[in-house]
Amino acid sequence: MTLLYDSQSLVGRYVTKLIRNPTLLGTNLATPLLFLLLFSQLLTKFGEFLPAASGGYLSFLTPGVIIFSAMIAAPQGAVSLVNDLNSGFLSKMLLTQANRSAILLGRLVTDMLVAVLESILTILLAFAMGVQFSAGLPGILLILLTVAFFEFALSGIFLAIGIRTRKTETISAVSGVLFFPLIFISSAMFPLSFFPSWAQTISNYNPVSYASDVIRNLVSGGLTMATLASAYGLIGFLAVATFAATLYQFRKVVS
Amino acid sequence: MIAVKDLVEIYSDGTKAVDGISFEVKEGEFFGFLGPNGAGKSTTIKVLTTLLRKTEGKVSVAGFDVDRSPAEIRKNIGVLSQETSLDVDLTGKENLRLQGRLQQMRGRGLEERVDELLRLVQLEPVADKPAGRYSGGMRKRLDLASALIHSPRLLFLDEPTTGLDTQSRAAIWQYLEGLNKKERLTIFLTTQYLEEADQLCNRLAVIDHGKLVAGGSPAELKESVGGETITLLLRDVSLRPKAKEVLKAVQGVREVVDSDGGFTAYAKNAGQIIAGIVTSLDRNGIQLDFLSISIPTLDDVFLRETGRRIRSDELSRRETEPFLM
Repeated sequence: MTLLYDSQSLVGRYVTKLIRNPTLLGTNLATPLLFLLLFSQLLTKFGEFLPAASGGYLSFLTPGVIIFSAMIAAPQGAVSLVNDLNSGFLSKMLLTQANRSAILLGRLVTDMLVAVLESILTILLAFAMGVQFSAGLPGILLILLTVAFFEFALSGIFLAIGIRTRKTETISAVSGVLFFPLIFISSAMFPLSFFPSWAQTISNYNPVSYASDVIRNLVSGGLTMATLASAYGLIGFLAVATFAATLYQFRKVVS
Repeated sequence: MIAVKDLVEIYSDGTKAVDGISFEVKEGEFFGFLGPNGAGKSTTIKVLTTLLRKTEGKVSVAGFDVDRSPAEIRKNIGVLSQETSLDVDLTGKENLRLQGRLQQMRGRGLEERVDELLRLVQLEPVADKPAGRYSGGMRKRLDLASALIHSPRLLFLDEPTTGLDTQSRAAIWQYLEGLNKKERLTIFLTTQYLEEADQLCNRLAVIDHGKLVAGGSPAELKESVGGETITLLLRDVSLRPKAKEVLKAVQGVREVVDSDGGFTAYAKNAGQIIAGIVTSLDRNGIQLDFLSISIPTLDDVFLRETGRRIRSDELSRRETEPFLM
């Protein structure tokens, strides 16, 4: 099983790098955590429009920020792969007997780990601010699983772009352009009933909405199989598409 | 160990980087590929190490075909690329350990090999410091160690000392000579440095514009120049054609080649005919600015085959070539 052994070796490498550069995690988390602190304090009136049992706007906002904090790991992972590509380190790995797929898998698994870690930190902050997680520990575990799966689907977009362009600047630019509509034209941060109908339509097709709804149901209660299945179905579809794009670009580099 | 027949490499933009070269490298040899920047050295090494697919020709490395068994080849070769590629966040030891793991090593065997190599390249004292804090020479030594981690039968080195200071270069040379002589490791080296090729290699192929222009041991190549080298610079360059005729007529002169601002002539026992040369030129009213006699170098071999010197070529190219990767 060289795939597992090699992926494990590479995850070990990336984790060591992260431990040596702890500020990276901090910079990543700064924006989402700031959103959580600012919006929950500034937009308290939103709570009045939400169902009484939902726990106020802070509880509503938390799932959106969890997803946002996890999303940021995706471009970061692609930047790291592009750096390896441009420094010659990727060529060096390709010259070893390492399993080719492990190079991608190691990166994706690391990105999922980072997303989970960032979500845990966000959950801890939300918990400290008084958010109740109604589904308890099993619910939190399902939140983390959802986050990891969502991250996997999103990473493919940035990895494919990174391998294709070999430019970290492009990755940053695309993430800047992509993230804000994805987050804000979705049910992540604000109740859909506030949106004009065109934005509601977009939101209904936005995968971020699906992931946020699952997490929101785990925070405030009321998760149904239908919500879970439609979210995992859509994210699964996205994951297959983006992973295929990444593999296609990667094969061109490897061969 | 390496057999290359009619190798052609054409890039997607149409550039013919390698134009039908053939050569063989035997087990235990220290084989050098000498040529100026852009001659096709790196391209050849990329094909041999399975990083680049060849356009045409037949290439086998360590007994395996590059197209059919790239994985088998990778098991048997170690590669030191031109650009040093280390993870600067990991320590020297961690870099070697990661490389060993990717080469499917594990456990005690791996740890022992890591320690052994750190000793070999004299990096034990800094083994636990991040590679990012190493000097250029230390990084190159660590990179060399990581190319050797899985005890390959064949080592590829792409311009291993380019950009290094004299001391670091000497250290790398020393390790390489030891590996070749004591451990019988077959080495394939590309270089643009004449001294490097001359000192290290048993056998050389000289490459220019994607074609092999000469081959043999350094001694054979230098001997092929024919005696000593006489370099002359004319005071009046316009007298060049006349001077060339005069020189050729001097008894003992074997060959006359144009070089910057004058000529390079080859002759056996140059010391004895030098008086004849000066007298003949003087009689024809041609004055000299400079004259020297030297033992031929590999640069003279290159000059004779291509009409250019590697050194001057290297300098002019370095200024104009854009920085890539």
